[in-house]
Amino acid sequence: MHRGWAKTCMALLLVASGIQPAVSEQDGVTTSTDPDTGIKRWKFAADGLDIELIQVPPDFIRASYSARGLPASVSEAVATRCVFGTIVRNVSDRPLSYRVADWRYVDAEGVERPIKTKSEWLEEWHGMGVRFSWSILADDPTFAVGDWIQGFTTLAEPHGSRVSLKVVWSIEGKRYEKVLSNLECAPAPENDA
Amino acid sequence: MKRSCRIWNVRPHRRMMRKTIALFLLFAVSAAGAADLPPLGHNMNPISPPLAAPDFNLPDMDGESHALSDFRGKVVMLNFWATWCPPCRREMPSMQRLFEKYSERGLVVVAVNQFEDPDLVFEFTGRLGLEPTFPILFDRESRVSEQYKVKGLPTTYLLDKQGRIRYRAIGGREFDHPEVEALIEGLL
Repeated sequence: MHRGWAKTCMALLLVASGIQPAVSEQDGVTTSTDPDTGIKRWKFAADGLDIELIQVPPDFIRASYSARGLPASVSEAVATRCVFGTIVRNVSDRPLSYRVADWRYVDAEGVERPIKTKSEWLEEWHGMGVRFSWSILADDPTFAVGDWIQGFTTLAEPHGSRVSLKVVWSIEGKRYEKVLSNLECAPAPENDA
Repeated sequence: MKRSCRIWNVRPHRRMMRKTIALFLLFAVSAAGAADLPPLGHNMNPISPPLAAPDFNLPDMDGESHALSDFRGKVVMLNFWATWCPPCRREMPSMQRLFEKYSERGLVVVAVNQFEDPDLVFEFTGRLGLEPTFPILFDRESRVSEQYKVKGLPTTYLLDKQGRIRYRAIGGREFDHPEVEALIEGLL
């Protein structure tokens, strides 16, 4: 754990140094990989929505939850999943809404699965007496013009898995969807392998 | 500065926790693209019809209690935030500049922190380029943010002198922008 954590920290310091990542684009989705850290991110913008997904290493989830005094049972439940830091923006000129309950991901076997929502996480945490209400992506917001939000999207898949994510949103009753294919969950720390 | 001594009185495990948080913040900023962060917006959206802002009573850094109703008759910018939230960190200096510009004319900025320890927040604000002089209150169990139906951090409300919610912004903003200042001028 200690060596893995130190290595991750060093890698992140390099990210912060501003070295430009490798970038490619396919089907409207821009993929970039930081050459030093290997952290990958995917970005898509169309039909009023701008969404960005970023790999979140499990050690960071453990560290950040631990730093807030959250019990290991809470941090492990999230850290053992495939987690993407997710930034969602309304870039349209009208209100935009989405429900994570409408989103799906497709696992490596091609099985479509629902995503555990923030409400489901909070019900679990509050049931354990943990009043922490943050970090997971809001599950049913309506964004006015210029509004945006960020949080974790958690998939019940092992680290290193490849998945596709179907994102659904609506603007004034018109429904849109986009499948972001070939996303890669953050790899497991070396000492967990 | 009532709490200036606290920073020297940090227990070792808290130092470790704070280092961890600093690393997390580094990641969060990096993950959002430190080198190419988009500029923050500067719009706040009208709430129509205006809603009565729920009253609350929360402690500040020194444990002194403040009620929202204490500020009735003033325009209130009510900001929900946390230190681990990168856009919260980015927008806070602009709130301070706005407060400095309009406080004598009746603007109050109230920053309601979520879940965090006052010691940690005190240390954090000391590291900001522009240290906040407006009240920071502590909503440790997020009960007030639930009352306000806050979906994510930061979320900011602009309240009129009658204590009604007139504007809202979800996500970080540059508040000392002419567009926001025009809204405040309209409410003062």
